[in-house]
Amino acid sequence: MKLNAFTWIIVTLAVTAWVFILPLEAVATILVLQLVLLLYIKRSKTMLAAIGGLGVFTGMMILLQLLFGSPLDVSLFGGLRMLVMTLAFLCMLATTRIQSIAKALVDRFHLPVEYAFMLTAALRFVPNFLEDSTITLDAQSCRGYSNRGNAIKRLLSYVVVIRPLVMRAVAKSETLALSMELRGFGANTYKNMPKEPFTLVDFVVLAIVIVLSTYPFWKKLIGA
Amino acid sequence: MNSVVSVTDFYFKYLRSDLVLKNINLEIEKGSFTVIIGPSGAGKTTLCKAITGIVPYYTGGDYAGDIKVLGETTKGKKVSDLAMKVGLMLEDYESQLVSLTAGEEVAFSLLNHGFPPEEAEERTRKALEDVGLPGRESYQLDELSGGQRQRLALASLLAVHPEIIVLDEPVSAMDPDGGESLYKLLGKIREEYGTTFIVVEHRVEFVLPYATNLLAIKNGEVAAQGRCEDVIPRVYEDTDLRPLLPDLWQIKCNLEKKTAQKFALWKSEKEAVAELQAKGFGRGVRA
Repeated sequence: MKLNAFTWIIVTLAVTAWVFILPLEAVATILVLQLVLLLYIKRSKTMLAAIGGLGVFTGMMILLQLLFGSPLDVSLFGGLRMLVMTLAFLCMLATTRIQSIAKALVDRFHLPVEYAFMLTAALRFVPNFLEDSTITLDAQSCRGYSNRGNAIKRLLSYVVVIRPLVMRAVAKSETLALSMELRGFGANTYKNMPKEPFTLVDFVVLAIVIVLSTYPFWKKLIGA
Repeated sequence: MNSVVSVTDFYFKYLRSDLVLKNINLEIEKGSFTVIIGPSGAGKTTLCKAITGIVPYYTGGDYAGDIKVLGETTKGKKVSDLAMKVGLMLEDYESQLVSLTAGEEVAFSLLNHGFPPEEAEERTRKALEDVGLPGRESYQLDELSGGQRQRLALASLLAVHPEIIVLDEPVSAMDPDGGESLYKLLGKIREEYGTTFIVVEHRVEFVLPYATNLLAIKNGEVAAQGRCEDVIPRVYEDTDLRPLLPDLWQIKCNLEKKTAQKFALWKSEKEAVAELQAKGFGRGVRA
């Protein structure tokens, strides 16, 4: 069962809206469903680390709200909402190719191709950027860079690593821009990609999204 | 001569710079394998960019003269349209790769130029096969080695079937085996498709078996150009350019000068040894 990228985007956007309109029990159910889905898709260390990281971040958010005087139930529900919203994006990214998301954003949401391409380019250059940062760190260490001392001292000394790293990134982005120009990047880039058809599952999921999104309306209708 | 690139009285300077290319006049023969040599900063890369229309139409700058590719002037042409005729592989080929998988990378240009997905798929398959990466369409770029990524960059050029391919120092970051293997592949492609190659190379020893023409650039000007056998003696006479010639050709020129004999254009040490032995240059000569 594979959902179309368009369906995933709609589901993700809907979930971010639902957390504000659905009751606590429903939001908690979505969280459980998300966790089951994520662990079903990929039960790896990376996935567990990603979920754990989001959990820690949520804990920090709850703590901050408590520190600023919010009641416990409000802080907990706020944290839950944030966790469900971020997990919705994680579900989408774990199940859908980034190129398909970019294509759906261009075709269905009329996002300019340049912005859509940034999604792919960002993902493409993350490993290169990490590699460059290691090389720069090694090179500067040979020239006497040290990350000892207090936090401020370390932060200031890190400038010698950041500066060449940024210069390298700029040079690479220039080459990338030139390469895209050479290869005719533009309006056709996503238009000519193979189409991903909608299946029955997509229609069922979209119908569920519509029903749940109009929950306040149905609630009122049933209540009346 | 059936020339595919013709440069006439070409001058160029980048914005806020001195003249980078001066009075360039040259012809690139169809199906030839031209090697561009010259000291660092001589203008080799700029010349490659000029042939592909990047200079001055993408980078900006002032120019005079004209460049014709396959009989048509590059003036007013889009860089991407020219790229269908002249493929360019930059020195930093890694940053030239824009997609996440090998198949998408090769298909990128094709889809951008409006090829139907089925044809793009077929051309992608063939191009990957040609560069020795058959069946790797679904491979992520980080699953490929450095050498394979370079072959992938070449495949993405080959897929659009350009008549001319320009490579800027393609083996600068490669070990000797990798360099030899890449040039072997270029030689095979040239034989199979009759593609014209223009290569900027500092390590000319790799190109010996394939080079047909040589173009020497010095201070932004053409110092010598033509068939290798005609150009090498002139390059040898120039003390600045001489170190750029491979050892084998330097030995050949030196011997020709000392013995007043003519030797063939040695493409390998074996050929040199065979000829030297045949001409009675001592039994101790070995490859």
